[in-house]
Amino acid sequence: MAHYTIMGRDPYWMNFFGLMILTLIEVAAVGFDLSPDATGLDYTEKKLTLMILVAIGLPKFIMIAAIFMHLWGDEDSKILTLTALFPAFFIIVMILFIGLTHPEATTGLPEWCRPGFYS
Amino acid sequence: MSEHDEHHHPSAWGPHDWSHGAPHNSWAPLIMSIGFGIFLFMLANAFTRGVFDVSYVPLVFVGLLVVLCGLIIWWKQDYSFDGTYEPRATGAPFKNIQIRKVAIWVFLMSEMMVFTSLFSTYIRYRTGIENCQTIFERGDWVAQGYTLEAGHAVICFEPASHLIASSWWHIAPGAINTFALIISSFTIVQALRYASKPVGEIDENVRRKKVTRYLASTWALAILFLSLKMIEWFIGFYIPEIEILGIHEHHIHSLYSEGYLINAEHYHHHDWVDEATGATMLANISVGASTFYVTTGTHGVHVFGGIIGLTYMTFKAWTGGYTPKNAVSIEYFGLYWHFVDLVWVLVFPFFYLY
Repeated sequence: MAHYTIMGRDPYWMNFFGLMILTLIEVAAVGFDLSPDATGLDYTEKKLTLMILVAIGLPKFIMIAAIFMHLWGDEDSKILTLTALFPAFFIIVMILFIGLTHPEATTGLPEWCRPGFYS
Repeated sequence: MSEHDEHHHPSAWGPHDWSHGAPHNSWAPLIMSIGFGIFLFMLANAFTRGVFDVSYVPLVFVGLLVVLCGLIIWWKQDYSFDGTYEPRATGAPFKNIQIRKVAIWVFLMSEMMVFTSLFSTYIRYRTGIENCQTIFERGDWVAQGYTLEAGHAVICFEPASHLIASSWWHIAPGAINTFALIISSFTIVQALRYASKPVGEIDENVRRKKVTRYLASTWALAILFLSLKMIEWFIGFYIPEIEILGIHEHHIHSLYSEGYLINAEHYHHHDWVDEATGATMLANISVGASTFYVTTGTHGVHVFGGIIGLTYMTFKAWTGGYTPKNAVSIEYFGLYWHFVDLVWVLVFPFFYLY
């Protein structure tokens, strides 16, 4: 259990309310028409939506891992955080060395990766 | 008490020599792994290349039976565990951390790899195959003959979000599910809070009721999650006429009834109509649909696994099985459950909204 408070209040309640608010913003970002704002910022609406979703998704991810999963504030948090981050090495290998450095990685796929290959 | 007696405590599995370790040693995980192996292998064989082979079905059930045996053994061992001895690691780097806690984190590491594979597949295909909407807006598909009338389909990536994010009603099941999982993460923490309150600080009957209620709430929210997923995938739902809110009577179609399927080689969206010629674009969207159903389905299977665990834990809590000494069991399950929530935090925006 957490041995600290957030702004003098119970960390689980605070985390819960924070997550609910961020999710509301997330759904609203998709539901509302952002095209006027996107045009003003010189983005497409889809790109602006993606940026908002990433900007909200990251803190949500950290809030759940740090507070609900006790990766922050406990005696063993440090070593368990390192344990949780260990697969990040493989994730980087997978994305950088297999995905992005492959010739035409994002523009072309080999035939065997394409739909209809077995038909 | 002699030294010999100190090492021999009663156990649900008969006399156990504690000098050789705590009675956490169990065959249950191994039995369950073998069961899952049989189940998945036979299920894959039963549906080879879309052809259903009934001869593998009995072996599918054999796999499930082995899993069930493993579960019963696990639960029987856990039910009698009162937390008297929670073994801790003695060596670096996890010195003094409970071995079960380290084990659940190692398990979660493997889970991260599973979902990373699914996400990288999604990123690779989404960036590597041209988007169906982009092809439609470019308009050259008419001249190339990818029309409903001609019967030829253009291969493109159609994200599920094109259908789901098209209206508030379509987003509703996924959005409610997001809130359901966040609330369930909170209720499991509350169950842990009451289970771990020191003896004397809370009446034992109140502890039993609180822990049971919070675990049961988590269970109910997990059921809600899967029910809404079934509605979204297969059933759809009906919106009645509500004049005061200006809502007209209509039916929200499921992804299934919209034709968004893993074998959708001749899919057409109702918007894909060329105004000049009246032609409708035909698309092969099997890759986009596969990545959606496999990723969200794998997540759904994890929720289902959580429901099975929660069913047992709620029963144990109802019988007063959780005390401050063994409350960490709720924490370890909670780590798994928060991880399921964590995955959804990424699945929801990238598969449902974007």
